[in-house]
Amino acid sequence: MRGRLIAYGFGATLIGVGGIGLLRDAAETRPAGWLVWFAGAALTHDLLLAPLVLGAALLTGRLPEPYRRPVRVSLVLAACVSAVALPMVLGLGNRAGDPSRLPRAYGADLAIILALIGLAGALAVAVSAVRVRRGRSRRPR
Amino acid sequence: MVRRPDPTGLIAALRESIPARLIAALGRSIHRERDERAERTAAWLGVWLGISFTVAFVTGLISHFMQHPPGWAVWPSRPVGLYRLTQGVHVIGGLATIPLLLAKLWTVYPKLWQWPPVRSAGHALERALVLPLVGGALFQLVTGLFNIAYFYPFPFFFPAAHYWTAYIVYGALVIHVANEWAKVRGLRRSGSAGGAAARPMGPSRRGFLATVAGACGLVGLTTVGETFTPLGGLALLAPRRPGVGPQRLPVNKTAAAAGITPDPDWRLAVTGDVARELSLSLADLRAMPRHVVRLPIACVEGWSAEATWAGVRLRDVLHAAGVDAGVRVRVESLEAGGRYRTSEVDPPHWHDELTLLALDLNGEPLSLDHGYPCRLIAPDRPGVLQTKWIARLVVHRP
Repeated sequence: MRGRLIAYGFGATLIGVGGIGLLRDAAETRPAGWLVWFAGAALTHDLLLAPLVLGAALLTGRLPEPYRRPVRVSLVLAACVSAVALPMVLGLGNRAGDPSRLPRAYGADLAIILALIGLAGALAVAVSAVRVRRGRSRRPR
Repeated sequence: MVRRPDPTGLIAALRESIPARLIAALGRSIHRERDERAERTAAWLGVWLGISFTVAFVTGLISHFMQHPPGWAVWPSRPVGLYRLTQGVHVIGGLATIPLLLAKLWTVYPKLWQWPPVRSAGHALERALVLPLVGGALFQLVTGLFNIAYFYPFPFFFPAAHYWTAYIVYGALVIHVANEWAKVRGLRRSGSAGGAAARPMGPSRRGFLATVAGACGLVGLTTVGETFTPLGGLALLAPRRPGVGPQRLPVNKTAAAAGITPDPDWRLAVTGDVARELSLSLADLRAMPRHVVRLPIACVEGWSAEATWAGVRLRDVLHAAGVDAGVRVRVESLEAGGRYRTSEVDPPHWHDELTLLALDLNGEPLSLDHGYPCRLIAPDRPGVLQTKWIARLVVHRP
């Protein structure tokens, strides 16, 4: 219990330091705009991203068992890589006359990675299908 | 669990509502395991996230205090690649944490809709602390990603907001870990002596954790090449490539962006707390002993690239002007303004034989974008402090 109280004190102090710093540095942190992004990040996740993933989970849940997992694994990998690549693929960044910033064709790069993930996923599904068929033919009639 | 009376039937109705049924479906379709197992998945992800956020917090503080040194701290100039390592870990580790955080939020998402929403004052406080934890963690990863992608849709100055928010997130994390510590201990107990038999890790959970680890690894693998050059060819999704840029080195601020044009009458002034003021032309500098060093530019954005620099040792110039061993040097750029127009060089760095006033890069005179005619290059120092287009060295007491 004592350790827990120390942790509470330490955590609350850190939160206090951050909060006071944000307010004292208001010219740069713009607390109102900060709050929009801070709460907005959580709301966007909870009300938009998570329900979308939930929808994908329910859809893939209709797949029969040996295929469901490779499909879901591929989708998770593809979604995570795409999320990280998104600002670069959409070309949202500012290049300001500097060709060494964002030098690549990120859409093509992402397409290559997604194709590899899709290929691996398809391979895994095919392996599962073969196993299922073999399992059936071996079963005594 | 305390059962509450439900005279109006409202609670029962809410339980049957669409969101509640969706959440129930989520539980069935995703976890396919009992609540306890889901808790353990969340606990494992929590352990990984705790480690990841601790590393990010520490490396972030290192970067902050290197750029804004408090009076009591003096940073060493060695090891040469220390900042390159800490900031690479900060940024690439942060990117790889994105799948981890999303996975954690996914496993605990049903708790967001728990009923009743609040059971007691303590429970209310615990739930209220989830906002700084979740909002803050997402804020740090999203703004960090946008920052390295040079995308600034937010109204705040990124370094300031990212810095102060780090304290809030980490404070909330410390409290959260204190509350959840029993679950983490439970993992260890069943993970060691005889644990495997006592409580086996189900295939579903192992598969989920392996998938998450794979996603983290994939993100790391496709970005780490922007700082770890041997994997440069794999850096498909990194905002920088070592070797891509003028003179095969990336540029962060171009001469055009800084408002710099070449000046044939350029001279380097050495003033302040010196025995004799100096005014050196480019020919004067080239006449001084020339040294060649191999040093990285290690950007706060996480990318880094090594290059071969040639020029004059900063300490040779300072000794020619006559300075005390303990002075500090302010390096001023030709830039008219901007946050990084000047930088301070403390004694460990200016005494270091690797610290140069560089004139050449990769065998050619510096290009204008890399700081022609003269720039600073020092070991273990953030890229923004490797001041370009040097006009003056002002010696002063710390």
